[in-house]
Amino acid sequence: MGCRWLSLWKVLGCLFALTLHISIIAANAHAASTIKVGVAAPLTGDQATLGQELKGGAIIAVEEWNAKGGLLGRKIEIVWGDDQHDPRQAVAVANKFVNEGVVGVIGHFNSSCSIPASTIYRDGKVVQITPASTNPQFTERGLWNVFRVCGRDDQQGGVAANFIAKKLQKRRIAVLHDKTTYGQGLADETVKALEKARIKPVYYGGVTQGEKDYRPVLTAVRPSDPEVLFYGGIYPEAILITKQMRELGMKTVFMSGDGVWAKAFIDIAGKAAEGAFITFTPDQTKIKEAQEVIKRHKEKFGTEVGAYTVYSYVAATVLFEAITTTQSTDSIKIADHIRKTKWKTALGPIQFDKKGDVLVSPYVIWEVKDGKFVELQ
Amino acid sequence: MLLQQLVNGLTLGSVYALIALGYTMVYGIIELINFAHGEIYMLGAYMGIITFTLLTALHLTSPDSGLTLLLMMIVAILFCGAYGVTIERLAYRPLRTAPRLSPLISALGVSIFLQNFVMLAQGPRDKGFPELFIQGGIDLPGGRISAIQLFIMATSVLMMFALHLLVRRTKIGKAMRATAQDKQMASLVGIDVNQVISVTFLIGSALAAVAGVMVGMYYGLINFYIGYMAGIKAFTAAVLGGIGSIPGAMIGGMLLGLIESLGAGYISSEYKDVFAFAILILVLIFRPSGLLGEDSSKRV
Repeated sequence: MGCRWLSLWKVLGCLFALTLHISIIAANAHAASTIKVGVAAPLTGDQATLGQELKGGAIIAVEEWNAKGGLLGRKIEIVWGDDQHDPRQAVAVANKFVNEGVVGVIGHFNSSCSIPASTIYRDGKVVQITPASTNPQFTERGLWNVFRVCGRDDQQGGVAANFIAKKLQKRRIAVLHDKTTYGQGLADETVKALEKARIKPVYYGGVTQGEKDYRPVLTAVRPSDPEVLFYGGIYPEAILITKQMRELGMKTVFMSGDGVWAKAFIDIAGKAAEGAFITFTPDQTKIKEAQEVIKRHKEKFGTEVGAYTVYSYVAATVLFEAITTTQSTDSIKIADHIRKTKWKTALGPIQFDKKGDVLVSPYVIWEVKDGKFVELQ
Repeated sequence: MLLQQLVNGLTLGSVYALIALGYTMVYGIIELINFAHGEIYMLGAYMGIITFTLLTALHLTSPDSGLTLLLMMIVAILFCGAYGVTIERLAYRPLRTAPRLSPLISALGVSIFLQNFVMLAQGPRDKGFPELFIQGGIDLPGGRISAIQLFIMATSVLMMFALHLLVRRTKIGKAMRATAQDKQMASLVGIDVNQVISVTFLIGSALAAVAGVMVGMYYGLINFYIGYMAGIKAFTAAVLGGIGSIPGAMIGGMLLGLIESLGAGYISSEYKDVFAFAILILVLIFRPSGLLGEDSSKRV
């Protein structure tokens, strides 16, 4: 019995090794005729949903360009990088991209990944365009190769604080964050802006991402009797926080940033999400240029676009157009061109400043009303 | 606030305890740290949702009846029990005489496999757990005990009591204790060791399945990744109580829940996990075999 198993394993092992060889040969034969673009996002792990959003946008852009004949006469090939929203993994992905000789990178999703990866891209002379990393530090360190097509958290935090102080006219604010570069960054920028309006948070604390029980921290927040709870973080934790807050009988208004603008937040938090305020960019379904992308996404994947799908598409098209116009894969030329050009994109006109940020970042307030995100005027 | 934190902590702790029992029983018998155990708990939560969806879609039971919940638990238990036994057969039994590291690696492999299997089969998105009939709660001066917290604590205590009776008062329990003490000797006196090991995996997986369904209800949100953190916490609870010791796992679980809850509430929520693991380190320094751990000859 044991012997037979052993030989079976050997056969399986040989087969496996053989297929590996075949695929390596195939990859090498493939490599010469394609032009490689890296797409990095949390494709597996607990933020896989967000990774899929980026993936969808990038796939649509690449298919569109390949149908037009690719770049510089070669087909575009996506190299996937799964960073699992882990900064260490992001660095490994970045090194892999550089070694594989990608002409540009779309990603990463999380600021905590984009920032450490960006210096590796700089050293490897690769242009990086993030669709979704909003932490100011990404572009504040004077790198020549970084761009983002989304806004910045200091802008976002300012809009949130202004809304709390002027529109809601609340003064007792509790602030929680998920200790990540994005979450804590957004929370801190909001606190900074609140302090300018002479509001000092009544509670400030961090929670652990991936945790399921936030009752202990909410129980600790409750005695300070906050009118608004501002959360810096991503939607899975926001769902649990809002639900558990209501279960503990707290009537506090919930407010958060773009990381929570996800359909799942409303679907799963249900009634607990009602009346929550979220800062995010204006309604994409009302941007004329975005409709084509939204339609094609629906056709191809059968689902609605996520918060950052169109951004991912835009990041990819900016890169592709820059390569086509400059007729070059020289990253310095590409970066110069991206910086100088006034872009017409699926998100409307975009222009980058010296640092790589978009010039206008129009954050607006959304409210959850009757199970939907509604943009406030 | 103290009362509220105690209730929060005990609820969390009883769930940790239920999962920790699976770790500790398996370790007690085959000295394997079954890293795939957290995934069994995750599968239990998924089976709960799937059963609920099927039952309500076919209009077999009304969503807010106790029967639905009972059926969810039973299906989860049967399914996870089968998974546990199968995993042992396929991934651990062929390696029983191999060096100790091999089954451990095999366990990690099973864990990764199950996570990705569920991700592909059910999708990476978070799934909302249905709001079942257990609503409302009792308002006390110092806080609020929700019905579901009471339900979780009561069910856990009941399960642990049943397990205690099983191990102490039944024939199979006796066989389990004998196998834990000395596998070879047990087989010499006519105990079917393979069967005992299968039963151990079955029971451990059933407890994890119940924990999965209850936690799904409690938090209202599950994904394919929840087994990872829960597994690590429950493993900590098992080590804290003394791995291999059943009462140790119960006490370790409760203690861990309370430490996390009180630490987060009174000191800092940012360091919640730090408290839990710091206590673990302290216990291991001063009592390397855990709070209730005994010599290996007196395990279970």
